[in-house]
Amino acid sequence: MNKTINLFLALSFSLLTFGTFAQQPFTIYFNHKVGNEVLQLMERSYSNSFGEPFIVNRFRYYVSNIHVTDINNKKTVIDQYYLIDEADSNSKTIKLSVPNNRIKQIEFALGVDSIKNVSGVQTGNLDPAKGMFWTWNTGYVFAKLEGQSDSSHIASHYFTYHIGGYKPNENAIRKINFSIMNREWSNTFSINVDLLKWFDGNLKLKINESPVCHVPGKLAMQIADNYSQMFSIQQ
Amino acid sequence: MKKLFIITFLVVLVTVFISWTNYSFKPKPVKFFIPKEWPQPIYDFKRNPLTEEGIELGKQLFYDGRLSKDGNFSCASCHQQFAAFSTYEHNLSHGYNNSLTSRNAPALQNLAWVKEFMQDGGINHLDVQPIAPITNEHEMGENLDSVIAKLKTDAAYKKMFKAAFGNEEINTQKIMKALSQFMLTLVSANSKYDKVMRGQASFILPEQLGYDIFKKKCSSCHPEPFFTDFSYRNIGMPVDDYLKDEGRKKITGLASDSLKFRVPSLRNVAVSAPYGHDGRFFSLYNVFEHYRKNMKPDKYTDSLVKNKLLLSNFEIGQLTAFLYTLTDSSFLRNPALAPAGYEITPIFIHNH
Ligand code: HEC
Ligand code: HEC
Repeated sequence: MNKTINLFLALSFSLLTFGTFAQQPFTIYFNHKVGNEVLQLMERSYSNSFGEPFIVNRFRYYVSNIHVTDINNKKTVIDQYYLIDEADSNSKTIKLSVPNNRIKQIEFALGVDSIKNVSGVQTGNLDPAKGMFWTWNTGYVFAKLEGQSDSSHIASHYFTYHIGGYKPNENAIRKINFSIMNREWSNTFSINVDLLKWFDGNLKLKINESPVCHVPGKLAMQIADNYSQMFSIQQ
Repeated sequence: MKKLFIITFLVVLVTVFISWTNYSFKPKPVKFFIPKEWPQPIYDFKRNPLTEEGIELGKQLFYDGRLSKDGNFSCASCHQQFAAFSTYEHNLSHGYNNSLTSRNAPALQNLAWVKEFMQDGGINHLDVQPIAPITNEHEMGENLDSVIAKLKTDAAYKKMFKAAFGNEEINTQKIMKALSQFMLTLVSANSKYDKVMRGQASFILPEQLGYDIFKKKCSSCHPEPFFTDFSYRNIGMPVDDYLKDEGRKKITGLASDSLKFRVPSLRNVAVSAPYGHDGRFFSLYNVFEHYRKNMKPDKYTDSLVKNKLLLSNFEIGQLTAFLYTLTDSSFLRNPALAPAGYEITPIFIHNH
């Protein structure tokens, strides 16, 4: 009797350790840039493709639903919501634990899935106190870009883009997908995020014409299309 | 061998102790009462089970001015029990820094059956609703972080949060869930009308005649038992030049939703004057005058009312008599809903 119990304990212990040892750390860095330059909040003035000068005061976005696929096609889903915030350098590093194999593909969503938008008050990174939440028209702001530009004709020359929308006809959730097979293997991984693409993509977003977007809808979806092009792998 | 056993024994002991301390967190469950013949509630109680401690905490928060920037504006300053938790005799309510809200505060009642909140339906869950007034500069003008910081300095709150949720931590989620728990208990289902329906009372003649007219001319939008179908409709109320409130259109962006507002419940309507989304109707009489004379139908006005409603003075009298039977005095005076230490919401709650 005693023996069986001991055996059982030993067995479950080794299973546990085996389970944890089969994992490896995997780290994703987000490098925020404007063209080739490193983004600096409030300090530097940049210029978009249309020659409009701008400074950035705030830049934040949600990364969620991360999927990592290894060479055996085993998918790991990370059920977490990350709020990447230029003002908080820790937030720009995501540390994961993934199966101990070469990873071939990584996918994530920009934004917050509709379930979390409709099921009441959340906590952690989704706490509405994080300021990424519309109170009068319930829903998460998926990405925020705020700054000032002489091209803006609203008060204090501000421009403020608050992009979100989870309803089918206003869906601003965008998926990002990278294959990372054709680069040397390493379990850290850097993603460049180029703010110039926020303005210049399919939509030519001129600060002069649209300094503000604060509601879900067509413009928000177009800006989301633009900013989904901001992400690229650092070679 | 023996050693191993002692270790295992100790581990078991610790586990048992930990689970025991967790079990000792036992808030008293409260069963949500569903009035006879009413549909199942929409609110998902499984994710926020009602408990005595949770409701008590929610009530404390509802009556606490510290949720506002200057301490003056509790939820109850705009939602007063004797007015069925609307703002008594105000078209618009007063908020932080001498500002006014842009809409008339509706009665808060039977919220477990409401799917979308506010008169434009912009808020999709009761648990996130309070964030809107707390952070709105025309209401409480505060931000969530500083509300939490203020509550943390109060030892009584720490105790209440622990009793309701198992630990002392105070966060947005717990505040909201507690507020919901209290608000969910605001059930009004005991008016004279309800008693008549249950066979415990009977209408006098004008009330009965009013009820008959109501079923013919009003029920398609204001059906029983909630006296609203919760749809959004344009009843020909032209836009206010100053407020420029387009209603549902602001949420959906659809031109066809222009000037549509949620059909309000008429329960306790006698105590929730003035009326209309911006409080433009001073009394029930003005509402009737609107339906029969003053309405300005436009392209999107509901087909049920766009040719105005035929209402004689007699009918108006009878309808009014019927609407008065929707007043639920046991709700308006329920001591369980009044601030702690009071039998009934004191008048001073409303000091504006
Ligand atoms: C300054 C006045 C004011 C304060 C303070 C205030 N409210 Fe309100 N409340 C309103 C108004 C006005 C509306 C209607 C808004 C609309 O329809 O757009 C409303 C609507 C609501 C609704 C929606 C009801 C429905 O049927 O859709 C709820 C729930 C509510 N308030 C709860 C609260 C809570 C909880 C607090 C405290 C955290 C609070 N209110 C503080 C004025 C106020
Ligand atoms: C076409 C649907 C419709 C019909 C029919 C209708 N109503 Fe309404 N009623 C509404 C809507 C929508 C509102 C809210 C309008 C607003 O605030 O913009 C409203 C508002 C009211 C209000 C104001 C309530 C408050 O708290 O502000 C009263 C009272 C009222 N109706 C009574 C009646 C009566 C009595 C009848 C029948 C004679 C009737 N209604 C017929 C849709 C309707």
